Order: sequence, then structure tokens, then C-alpha cells
Amino acid sequence: MHRKNLVLILALLLLLASLSAWVYQVRAGLIITHMRNPFSWGLYIATFAFFVGIAAGGLIVSSAVYLFSIKALKPFTRVASLSAFASILAAAIIILPDLGRVDKIYLLLLHPNFRSPLIWDVIVVSSYILLTFLSVYFQLLPDWKREGRGFLNRWTQRLSPEEVEKISITWSKRIAFVGLPIAILIHTITALIFATQASRGWWYTAILPADFISVAVASGAALCLLIALLSMGREGFPQYASALAILARIAAWALAVHLFFLATDLVIHWWWANPDELELLSLLFYRYGALYALEMVLTIFSMVYFLTSWGISSPRALLSGGLVLLAGVFIHRLNLLFPAFNHFPLSLTLPGAENEFWSYPVALGEFRPGDSIFVSSWPYVPSLWEIFIDLLPFALVLIICSWMISSYSILPNTRKETTKTISSPFAQNLDF
Amino acid sequence: MAIDLDRCIGCRTCMVVCKLHNAQPPGTWWNRVFTPGSGEHQVPTLQKGRPQMYFLPVACQMCENPPCQKVCPVGATYIDDRGRVQVDLERCIGCRYCLAACPYQVRQFNWEDPKKTKGKVGYIEGYEYGYPFPYRDKNGRLVYTPDRPKGVVEKCTFCAQYTDNGEKPICVQVCPARARFFGDLDDPDSEINEVLRQRQAFRLKEELGTRPKVFYLPPAIPHK
Repeated sequence: MHRKNLVLILALLLLLASLSAWVYQVRAGLIITHMRNPFSWGLYIATFAFFVGIAAGGLIVSSAVYLFSIKALKPFTRVASLSAFASILAAAIIILPDLGRVDKIYLLLLHPNFRSPLIWDVIVVSSYILLTFLSVYFQLLPDWKREGRGFLNRWTQRLSPEEVEKISITWSKRIAFVGLPIAILIHTITALIFATQASRGWWYTAILPADFISVAVASGAALCLLIALLSMGREGFPQYASALAILARIAAWALAVHLFFLATDLVIHWWWANPDELELLSLLFYRYGALYALEMVLTIFSMVYFLTSWGISSPRALLSGGLVLLAGVFIHRLNLLFPAFNHFPLSLTLPGAENEFWSYPVALGEFRPGDSIFVSSWPYVPSLWEIFIDLLPFALVLIICSWMISSYSILPNTRKETTKTISSPFAQNLDF
Repeated sequence: MAIDLDRCIGCRTCMVVCKLHNAQPPGTWWNRVFTPGSGEHQVPTLQKGRPQMYFLPVACQMCENPPCQKVCPVGATYIDDRGRVQVDLERCIGCRYCLAACPYQVRQFNWEDPKKTKGKVGYIEGYEYGYPFPYRDKNGRLVYTPDRPKGVVEKCTFCAQYTDNGEKPICVQVCPARARFFGDLDDPDSEINEVLRQRQAFRLKEELGTRPKVFYLPPAIPHK
């Protein structure tokens, strides 16, 4: 209990720090970030893509249970739904500090442009927030009824526990039915924000939506694994070791699919030897080579590690494997931006010239005394302010998860009357 | 608009007047002129072993199929009744999707309050530049204001405040080499159509299918 309170206090402090940094950014402008005209999306958007990905946890667990009949994962549906809700909410939140005019965000509702993939994303992400919220809510309703607490559940007062349980099952099924396509769509459409842009060679590929789904499955499974491990501790492990191992294996195979997509994409960028494409690859392998190597080492390591019997043998092994995987995926998200922005779309191939490949300089948008305003690339590194503000979604996930887990029976071994719950019809329902 | 690269002398007059007339904050340039292939403007590069140089002015290409307009989630970027791509400064929410989408990188973001930036530069107290009044299109959408709000995107408007009143954009008016032509592409008798009939023209990044309304007339004779 003490440890959980400590987590909550830490998370609240992080939240406070990021909110105050955000207030400063609203007053000073986005100039306090290191984004500029040539590199106009940075840490916030990478974090957004990361959180959309890890929100896949709910999808994986419920489809594993119901589509592939992996019964061992059944006790994890609640924690999966909760992690999905917390992550997708976090993804939506980190978009806000990225907006120059966050005060005008209501215009998204007043004047939506349905041609914009960003509006598609607003629609699916908000639907997913609602669905994952309802999923957690309906799963907890019978418990709340039994224990006489909860929120937004006054309407259940007049009903009998059996009736509430029935409602919980029916609605969980309905939500799951709508939720499955929406869960796939949040990754597809988030990928389409990037993949539709022919001006950015690094994004413009039909493999991107499929790759986003594979990365989401890997990181979503890893997040579920981490939350379950951290909150049930060493004591709960033996009972659920096989279920946690399945999660780790799902993550590993999803990473294998991701690495396969990545490899085919790289081969296609390289093979034709178009100077424009080679320039892109030189950014990836030379200029950002160290970061790219780190991404590769972390993702390949966690994949191989989770496929060995050692990697799934103990809570400590699963925990470190999951952390390495998430770190690798986070860097993968950063690498979505570096080669895309520093490969300027307005570049000319000049046959016979000494520099055959030339990028047209771009105005930074910032006056720097003594330094050029026009640049041919921008060495973007997030500023300290940006990093502080970027803590916001992490704090939010920590707060939601630690608060919900300590208040309600989310985890398998913390549920009272475990055997009864599992054998009851409630355990049969579909959920996210 | 058509730009004759044979006539352009790279003097950057258009760049400077564009900046002044449209009150662009320090660090923001709607119109750029550079020497292709060269690291420095007005420095020749070797072309098949011999020095050569020409200049390429680039501002908004006023695409007929503008990615910036299609990505804008709130419809702040739109094509107006004259076929120009405009930004409604009051509608923009500052998401910068258009900066990622534009293949010509002509879009500029107000990373801080332009007034503050002007202060940093150290102009004489009270120095103001640019067309002094806000300008709205026929539907009342704000496409120009000398004091841009922080957090919104801006770009070339083809000098909406002038062209709506029958004048030419300021870059066309001032070009000392008369390298720029401006007019109605829908009117067969316009000067611009006459020029485009006579000379071979190309558009930037034609392969992307953005169909710009800015045409370039390539240098006819190799420069010595």
C-alpha cells in the first residue's frame, strides 16, 4: 500500500511539473521547444504515436482470449482495458501542448475538414477513449454493486446484483463488438496521418499502417505485462506465470513482424538507388545512425530475449524485457520524425553539377543574432521545457493506473472470491 | 504567376519587399531566392567543370491540388474565389500538419509573439513596417494582419490586399529585371497566358501532382 501511495505522489509531482511547464509554453509560445519551421513536429508527436501504440493492450488481450481461445489471459482483461483507457487518454492529452492555439481547439468540432487524416484520428481516438472507459466501467459495475460504491452508477441502485451482472455482460459484449474495429483503426489512421504525405519520403509507404499495428501489438502487450507485474508483485507471479509468458511471446512475435516490415521498407528505399532515397538512408544510417542503432539493439534484443525460456522465467526477467521493449519502441517513434523532417522535400537534382543533390534552404521562423535564418537541415533535439511538458501523458497513465488498481479489483489476484468470479458467467464476456 | 529564370538576377528585391509589405516577423520569409546547387547565394557552382549560376525564387506555389489545404483539420487553409490558397489566421489552431505536408516548405509558424521577436531585433522605438490594416476576404476571413497572433501559420497570399483591388503582388511590381508575370490563368488574353504560350514552362515537383499555379521559365541560354 505504501509503495502504491508513493507512485501516486510521484505521479502527481510529475503532473504538476509538466502542467507548470505547459503554462509557461502557452505564455511564451512554442519558441521554448526546439521545433522550428523545417522540423515542425517533435517529441510531442512522437510521444503521441507511442501512446496510441501502447493503447493496443486491451485489443490484444481480449482478442487472444476470444478469437484465439487463450484462456490463460482471461483474468487480465480488466488490467488490459484499464491500460488501454489510460494510454489513449494520454495520447490525446499530449496533442494539446503541440497546438499553437490550444484555446481554439473547439474549431475541430465546429469546422471539421473530413479530408484531413487528423480529423479521422480525432474521431477514432475519441471513440476509443469512450469505448475503453465504458469497457472498464461495465466490467467493474457488478463489483461496485456488491461493495456498494463506484461512480456514475446510481442507476444500478434499484437493480438486483444479478440484473447488474447481466447488464455488465451484455454491454461488455456490445462494446467489444464495436471496439475491435475501432482498436485497429486508431493505429491505422494514426499511421495514415503520416503515410498519406507524398512530400515526406520516409512516411509515404503503404506498409506504415500495418507496421503501426505490429508495433502497437508489441508495445501494448509489453505495457499490460509491466502493469500486471508491477502491481501484483512477486507473490502473484507463480499463479499467472504462463499467462504473462504468453503476453511476452505475443510481444516478441509482433516485433518480429515489425522488423520484417521494416526490412522490406528499407530494401525498397535502397534498391533503386534514387539519389533522393539514398540521401534519406544516409540520414538514417549516418547522421542518426547512433539513435537508429540503439533502436535496433533494443527492439531486436527484447524480441530475442522474450523468445528464450530465460526471458520469461522470472518476474525480473519479464520486467526488464518489457522495459527494454518499450524504450526501443519509443526511440522507434522518434525515428519516425528525424529522417522525415531533415530530408527536405524541396530538393533538386542538378545533373552534372558539383552538388548533384541540393536542398532548398528554409527559413527557421526564429531570429538568431549572428546565425543564419536559412538552414538546409535542423539539428532537432527536444528542449528541457519540451521534455518537462512531455511528462504529462506519463504522469496521467501512472495516476489513472495506480489509483484505479489500488481502489478497485482490476488485477487477477486482488479480486475477492477469485474462483467464484472466474466460474461465473461474468468471466465469459468479451471486453477490452 | 510565371517567373522567368532567364531574367532573374538574384537581387532578392522581391524577398525584401515581400517581407516589408506583408509585415513578416524577423525569422519569417514568405519568399526566398537562392542559387541552386550552391551553399551561398550568388556564388557559382561547377556545372560539368565550368562555373555556372542561376537563381530560383520560391514562395507559395498556389497549388490546384494543395496538400496543405487537404490536411488542415479545421479548414483554415482554403482555396479562395480567385484560386489562391489562403490561410484564415483566425481559424488556424496551430497544429502544423500543413508544414509537414507542403512539399515547397513555404509555410511558416509563429513560434512566439511577432511583437516580441521584433523587440529582440532592436529596431528603433516605434518602427513598424508592412501594410498597416488587417485584410479580410469577401467572406470576412482574416487572411492578413500586420500583427500576427502567436501560434498560427502564415504564408504568401499573392498579396491579397493588393490583388483584390486590381494591383499586382508586390514582388511582381518591384522586380527590377521584370522577371515576374502575373495575371488570370483563366483568361486566354492575359499577359501570363501569352508568356506561357511562347515559352516552355515547368513547375516545381511536378511529379507530386500538386499542380502549382506558379510557372517557371527555364534559362534559355547557358550562362557564361
